[in-house]
Amino acid sequence: MNVMITGASGGLGRALANECGRRGYNLFLTDIDARGLKSIQRGVERQFNVTVTTAACDLTSDESVDELVRSIDSLGIRFDMLLNVAGVDYEGGFLERSGRDIVRIISLNNEATLRITHALLNRRREGLPFYLLFTSSLASMYPMPLKATYAASKRFLLDLAVALREELRDKRVNVLALCPGGLATTREAMRGIAAQGFWGSATTNPLEVVSRKTIDRLEARGGIYIPGALNRVLTFFGKLLPRRWVAAAIYRRWQKAQEHWKPAELSAEKL
Amino acid sequence: MKYAVITGASSGIGLAASVELAQKGYAVIGVGRDEARCEQAALQIRAAAPDANIRFLCADLMQQREVARVAHEITEILLQEHEGKLDALINNAGCVRSWYTTTEEGYEQQFALNHLAGFLLTWFLLSQLGRAGGRVLMTGSESHKQFRMRWHDVMFSRGYNPLAAYKQSKLSNILFARGLNDRYQKDGVRAYVVDPGLVCTEIGCKNTGGLVNWIWNMRKKHGAQPEVPAGTYGYLCETEPAPEELYYYRCKPNRYSKQVTRENADRLFALSERLCGVEYPSAIVTEKEKTI
Ligand SMILES: NC(=O)c1ccc[n+]([C@@H]2O[C@H](COP(=O)([O-])OP(=O)(O)OC[C@H]3O[C@@H](n4cnc5c(N)ncnc54)[C@H](OP(=O)(O)O)[C@@H]3O)[C@@H](O)[C@H]2O)c1
Repeated sequence: MNVMITGASGGLGRALANECGRRGYNLFLTDIDARGLKSIQRGVERQFNVTVTTAACDLTSDESVDELVRSIDSLGIRFDMLLNVAGVDYEGGFLERSGRDIVRIISLNNEATLRITHALLNRRREGLPFYLLFTSSLASMYPMPLKATYAASKRFLLDLAVALREELRDKRVNVLALCPGGLATTREAMRGIAAQGFWGSATTNPLEVVSRKTIDRLEARGGIYIPGALNRVLTFFGKLLPRRWVAAAIYRRWQKAQEHWKPAELSAEKL
Repeated sequence: MKYAVITGASSGIGLAASVELAQKGYAVIGVGRDEARCEQAALQIRAAAPDANIRFLCADLMQQREVARVAHEITEILLQEHEGKLDALINNAGCVRSWYTTTEEGYEQQFALNHLAGFLLTWFLLSQLGRAGGRVLMTGSESHKQFRMRWHDVMFSRGYNPLAAYKQSKLSNILFARGLNDRYQKDGVRAYVVDPGLVCTEIGCKNTGGLVNWIWNMRKKHGAQPEVPAGTYGYLCETEPAPEELYYYRCKPNRYSKQVTRENADRLFALSERLCGVEYPSAIVTEKEKTI
């Protein structure tokens, strides 16, 4: 099994890399952070008996992705699985952020994901099933004031996953949208969870469990995976209420959380 | 003047041990992760020991490249000031994590900091320790008892449990000390583990959340002040001839787990060498002998 992971040097990327390594899959890891890539490559190779290849790449740049694809083609690699993990989340009010930062959310979370997904689907292994993951978020379930663009970008991925799943079914492509709540991947993320108090901890998903179940679901059938019973219940009831009410409630909650927590600390954090 | 390196010297037990050794006239090289906290700690040490020779180096010891960098800086200092000799290395930096979290290498953070960081730092400083007939101290914990190594999954990627991961890292400390003694006692280097008892520090409230935080806040109230275990570090560094046992609580040998066997120690050595990408030599060779 050959697996490509984008955003592989971030917290979720590393956990998924470990999970795949443990299953004996060979890995092609990419991220914009070249040094981080080398570290996770070392770590996976030392833990598991698998081949790990890395290539640093800025997925928001056509040239950079073209180069990545050229190196894949020169190695003649064919893939069985793509885990789209790379993504950014700039927290905070719409007007408090620069226009560029906001557009960058879409450039990476959506445009870049499309670019690499299209390229990899065309390089899937002939005659075998292909597994395609999009990392959406619990934030995709509702419109989210103070994370408006981010939540919308994650909604895009959710809808994309659901639609592609049908469209590519007879090409034997399994598509999964992963919609986690909080993940304690970085010190900032841990601080953020702590700042949200009870609800922060309650909606946080254990990273190692999410990683394992994500690959299990992806291989079994695809679909939408919302980790955590509480998150599923909240999502269910959220759907019964008018979207405007949910948005208003979320706005109140985030405002309170932000009083304890400088959102600047979260900027450009990998999901 | 003797030289000591103490990791996690910016607060808690490591800070108290630094004061203890500074008062005993050691030159202390402290390692912490946060510059401001290190400066603050240096002030505190100087207040308690006015002519202390104390300096701090900053490194996030969870990351292996940072361990390598700080080891290099320490080596330079020792070479310039102390003929490349290190009298005591205290691997004390430690953490607790409520959730499964990984380092840059993708290693579970408690295992990476509480065990691997010390394993790798000791490897880098082995010949310096050899030259001085130095001692290596780990800060262990009573909680290592009634626990076995999870050899099939030391990183807890299945069924993570904060306390279990912590216990395993503390059992690893003793296995590591045992492995060092098995290999290098003949070369004059001795390793010990200090059981500090329950100590009132902030360890359970840093980068933790929810339950762990709450439980630790209740528990730490019953703990001793960090100065209490500090004496044991002084005792183990200073006493001649070198104390014979492996595991000490308040300057006295204490019982430790039956899991601490030569076989388990060797197994952990092999695993840690692989995870750190290094190999411990069969004997300590100092450069002088090498050139002969
Ligand atoms: N407290 C107890 O009851 C108890 C009992 C048994 C064993 N222990 C052991 O005692 C040792 C010290 O713990 P403590 O209670 O004194 O806790 P502490 O006050 O939190 O001290 C831990 C030290 O390690 C440093 N540190 C944390 N993460 C680091 C990193 N990534 N890189 C470099 N340094 C890092 C901390 O720096 P900052 O100052 O910046 O946080 C601090 O100096 C640990 O190994 C612990 O397992 C404690």
